[in-house]
Amino acid sequence: MLSRNALALFRQVHDQLPASAALKTFNAHQNATVTTIAELIIPQTDTPGAKAVRVNEFIDLIVTDWYDSQERQRFLDGLADVDARSHRQFSKDFVDCQGTQQAEILAALDDEMLKARKASKANAHRKKNDRPDADNFFSMMKNLTLIGYYTSEAGSQEELHEEIIPSRHDACAPLEEESQGKN
Amino acid sequence: MPAQTYDAIVIGSGITGGWAAKELTEKGLETLVLEAGRPIDPEKEYVEHVPVWEKQFRGMGDRRRSDDNQPIQITCTGLDEWNSKFFVNDKENPYTTTPNKPFLWIRGRQVGGRSITWGRQSYRWSDLDFEANLREGIAADWPIRYKDIAPWYDYVEDFVGVTGQAEGLPQLPDGKFLPPMEMTCAELQVKDAIAKHFPGERMMTIGRAAILTRSHRGRAACHYCGPCARGCITRSYFSSLNSTLPAAKATGKLTVRPHSVVHSLIFDSKTRKVSRVRVIDGQTRDAIEFHCRVVFLCASTIESTRILLNSSTTEFPSGLANSSGELGHNLMDHVMGGGAEGEIPGHEHRVAYGHRPNGIYVPRFRNVKSKAPNFVRGYGFQGDGIRPDWKRGADLAGFGKDYKKMLSRPGSWRMRFYGFGECLPNQENTVELDKTKADAWGIPVVKINCAWRENERALLKDMTESAAEMLAAAGARNIEPFTEDNAPGLTIHEMGTARMGRDPKTSVLNEHNQAHDIQNLFLTDGACMASSSCVNPSLTYMALTARACDYAVGRMKRGEI
Repeated sequence: MLSRNALALFRQVHDQLPASAALKTFNAHQNATVTTIAELIIPQTDTPGAKAVRVNEFIDLIVTDWYDSQERQRFLDGLADVDARSHRQFSKDFVDCQGTQQAEILAALDDEMLKARKASKANAHRKKNDRPDADNFFSMMKNLTLIGYYTSEAGSQEELHEEIIPSRHDACAPLEEESQGKN
Repeated sequence: MPAQTYDAIVIGSGITGGWAAKELTEKGLETLVLEAGRPIDPEKEYVEHVPVWEKQFRGMGDRRRSDDNQPIQITCTGLDEWNSKFFVNDKENPYTTTPNKPFLWIRGRQVGGRSITWGRQSYRWSDLDFEANLREGIAADWPIRYKDIAPWYDYVEDFVGVTGQAEGLPQLPDGKFLPPMEMTCAELQVKDAIAKHFPGERMMTIGRAAILTRSHRGRAACHYCGPCARGCITRSYFSSLNSTLPAAKATGKLTVRPHSVVHSLIFDSKTRKVSRVRVIDGQTRDAIEFHCRVVFLCASTIESTRILLNSSTTEFPSGLANSSGELGHNLMDHVMGGGAEGEIPGHEHRVAYGHRPNGIYVPRFRNVKSKAPNFVRGYGFQGDGIRPDWKRGADLAGFGKDYKKMLSRPGSWRMRFYGFGECLPNQENTVELDKTKADAWGIPVVKINCAWRENERALLKDMTESAAEMLAAAGARNIEPFTEDNAPGLTIHEMGTARMGRDPKTSVLNEHNQAHDIQNLFLTDGACMASSSCVNPSLTYMALTARACDYAVGRMKRGEI
């Protein structure tokens, strides 16, 4: 039988390992937190949600192979802060909170993020090639969730009904057609 | 004759090199096209239909790789995760700039050059442009006028296929257009408001673009997939790879040699002609020479000048064909990025179907009928009125079912004007050789010394104000004016540094794009431009190239070259 210390050490080591072969940065707990937040942003409805299209794996890829070290740290610190908030408010990890509690935490993060952005971008015009906002954890999380979801095959095809080859252009088509090949 | 001898050598295979190859081969010349970059097989390399979910970074691009290999190229909005291979590796192709004077040099080195990724907007210049230098006493007068180039615009448009709407404007002559693309509901509303509020001054038309709206000369009509800059397997937009090079190949007189980095031109002081072209093989690094009767330099504005600067002789110590001393001077690029956007209320039940690879255009209206108080020349606006997609969600509050449902539908119509202004030729905006540094093939790099001046800054400011005015007139809500601070080069309309002119003492090229100093040397890319107009320049380069080829072959046939 393992001692308590050895067990704690084992859990600590285990938590630091990627949760699956597909993940490079997130440990199991971080992965669960990211998966939960992404699904809260884009839930399963009559179409797949963020979890079903594995947005968590996309976010892990970006955090690992796209973000610089500062951005990566900001993201991981932000994730830890989500748990700090849930512990302060509900005395448990975010993933163990009830849906309404999780939504309350997300609403606060969303509100703070948009207020901060409003203040900072008062004079800055965003150009087409600006990189996704990397100044705030929830801004990163929300943006990556949207990209991960809507650029997935299910997001593009089942949710948006995008057509890769529309074959024609109708500049003022009825909205019923909007979901196909819209610009 | 030595084995490697051709009637003509064309240096570069982009928009002008392709035209030179087509014209010279069709007129019977055995023609060698030297291209510094690799060959492109459209069947394998065009990626416009590759879905985003098949891309590793889902369209965000491989940032580590671009930070490492393409830190300059990545600043171009046209570069993406699909087509970054059509832009150069900045490590292999360095250049230097004067401290505190950034210049962003966006390049494509492959067969097809930048014609694979260009913006395709195609406008004619007018005499408002060709007469401007003379009228204002700026730089050197153009040696040609609209009547000299008009038949050549007709000629190239007939082959290229340009969609557009004839408007009868003196400052933006009509071309031989294929049917125009449609404006969206928001654009039509704004167009009407501009006509009503600025009668006789401003107007809005659909963009004129080198894209087929019906099948044309064996190429298929556009299928509105959208991302032209990733290639086009139906050859519906014009590029040298899609159009002119296949036509040249069909003559049986074309040889294209990829991986051929031109080092210099060899001048024969006895015949007073360029006798050979020295090439560094891009793969083996071997030096090779090719002989020819005539040379067309079509390597792009800065590259063509670099080759001439690197070809100096005792007779031409400051660069070949540079008895005027003007080689390398008067570098220009359009000043872009003043504008505004705003929400256009209404039309909630309408949306654009298909991806129109074109926008709207507001032709120049400053200094056309009346004089602007604090600047000369003018600018035009490109833009569009569309409904934003899910990407707007990052800026909107919310999450969950309702938020997802909202993002499955398009946002409100938004109209955007984005200005492109004329850059004045300035003697102090220069390109010179920087012999302290070499590229991957051992060739000295260029040092670029270029900055916006007072007139460009005044144009930029005015763009912002007039764009906001038009949106206000159209009843737009939440109007957001903007003024970007873009370094020169980023518009990728670089021009000048080997200008055409009447006087050999003040210009490098004559009215036929022929070097004043060397009769078998022609230069027809953007380097030849004596001023910059405010419209996109490629169509004018094409017309000048076809015109120069006609002249050169005529002279050769009469034994004069």
